[in-house]
Amino acid sequence: MFDKILIANRGEIALRILRACKELGINTVAVHSTADADAMHVRLADESVCIGPPPSKDSYLNVPALLAACEITGAEAVHPGYGFLSENARFAEILADHNLHFIGPKAEHIRLMGDKIEAKKTAKKLGIPVVPGSDGAVTPDQDAMAIAKSIGFPVLVKAAAGGGGRGMKVAHTEADLALALTTAANEAKSAFGDASVYLEKYLQKPRHIEIQVLGDGRGGAIHLGERDCSLQRRHQKVWEEGPSPVITAAARARIGQTVAKAMQEMKYLGVGTVEFLYEDGEFYFIEMNTRIQVEHPVTEMITGLDLVLEQIRVAAGGDLPLKQDEVTITGHSIECRVNAENPVSFRPSPGKILQYHPPGGLGVRIDSAVYQGYVIPPYYDSLVGKLIVHGKTRGECLMRLRRALDEMVVDGIETTLPLFRALVREPAIIDGDYHIHWLEQYLAGQQPG
Amino acid sequence: MARQPDEKVAAKFSSEDSALIRELALLLDETSLSEIEIERAGLRLRVARNISIAASVPVAMSAAAAPLAGVAAPAAAASETDFAKHPGVVPSPMVGTAYWAPEPGAKPFIEVGSRVTAGQTLLIIEAMKTMNQIPSPRAGTVTQILVEDGQPVEFGEPLVIIE
Repeated sequence: MFDKILIANRGEIALRILRACKELGINTVAVHSTADADAMHVRLADESVCIGPPPSKDSYLNVPALLAACEITGAEAVHPGYGFLSENARFAEILADHNLHFIGPKAEHIRLMGDKIEAKKTAKKLGIPVVPGSDGAVTPDQDAMAIAKSIGFPVLVKAAAGGGGRGMKVAHTEADLALALTTAANEAKSAFGDASVYLEKYLQKPRHIEIQVLGDGRGGAIHLGERDCSLQRRHQKVWEEGPSPVITAAARARIGQTVAKAMQEMKYLGVGTVEFLYEDGEFYFIEMNTRIQVEHPVTEMITGLDLVLEQIRVAAGGDLPLKQDEVTITGHSIECRVNAENPVSFRPSPGKILQYHPPGGLGVRIDSAVYQGYVIPPYYDSLVGKLIVHGKTRGECLMRLRRALDEMVVDGIETTLPLFRALVREPAIIDGDYHIHWLEQYLAGQQPG
Repeated sequence: MARQPDEKVAAKFSSEDSALIRELALLLDETSLSEIEIERAGLRLRVARNISIAASVPVAMSAAAAPLAGVAAPAAAASETDFAKHPGVVPSPMVGTAYWAPEPGAKPFIEVGSRVTAGQTLLIIEAMKTMNQIPSPRAGTVTQILVEDGQPVEFGEPLVIIE
């Protein structure tokens, strides 16, 4: 097991990683920009190193500074959290070159799944159902219209180097295709440095269902059930729950088994999430995230497993905690991502938290690094914290969530708490009857269809 | 300041000596004094608020120079944030290990009292086997050297005061 881990991240996930390290008796090194000198995880860590000024590229993305921090503290492993360098295969390789452990998947798998076209090809090869689409990138000499027609309109033009919901354009009819292709390619070029695009069937009202996996890197892998993350705004998840209100035990076993087998064949190491669009009883692979995800607590609450702890364990060469038939899903869990944003305009609202009262009680969990008096810096994401509740049933969970949301106080900045208080009372949400376009339609004031 | 795990400092002191220093450091904190110096048979001790590592400790006590700085940490901690705001401070531009001299055994680049020109090398900060020369941002006189030879430093850490 590692003796000392450097946490290459910030905010709530850095605190989350610190907690797992402490429970494993591992020494912690917190690195931070000057803007995060007062962060909670920095205060709690055994050692801290300031690695740069506020901009991420000069601090949290500054590989030389991170390596130097490992050097002067003697840290032997780096946990990259999510975002930042967590899915940077080159960073994983550089760490290996310096005899440091990267707590995450093998660099080859990060690279494989980072290219969305290659990821889809790999999924297909491994027997995972995929969204019907072009066979790879659509090149200028190919007949894009013919490909699109064979898929069937409407089609989605997607950036190969994109992901996380970015770099996508819809072509509803044949007339829209040319413009969608050029716009998507241009955006992809400027955002990701790669203009390659591919086509996929555009599903009308799918749900976003993702399967959590854990592999030991030696051919052992298990799935830990699904999370339903259909409620999104601008492709950013807002509310996640597990189990999904629409997935039966049989469907879960079927897709879970397919995914676990694929991870076993790949000899996947660490945690990962295989994301699907689900419509009319069918699963369609869209991408795989080779990192711990923001919404991992939902799975933790219903399986009883500490995913960050398991991540560290398998990275250190340990075994999986359970066999597949020992994995149990108990009760229901919902997570709300509370952001420092105006709940209507979603304009960021950084600043000082004057009053802070997190809710508590049975089945209530807050993953947050804020505290009363904390100043949310303007340089990074706007996540204040995640409110996660668990109940024996979905109904109990919703009542508990309503109670916890009403009790939570974050004053001094604007937050999206009012949005969640409204959502938890919305009939469609209570019925679990929503899809990936539902939230945007709701916010636009339409009656979601 | 890169926080280090607690290290037990006063290896060379008798427990009486370190108790005395602790008492003096506490006195400094409690009063508005900026330095206390006492002398008795075979021992001269000076505990000061703005501790300067290179100078002002008597030669006879040079073995105590490092522990003295370490034990006075409670008082120095208050002045450390003063250093960061000092108009003459030169903060570290990177993470690494600071060295006074270009190589082991060589003469240090500067000492307290040195006059330097803008761009003149003050220290080396080493990271991953590359040596980075740290230039002075302005001309002036070195009034304080705030890091020890071989001390790990973080971004923004006060290295030297140039006035």
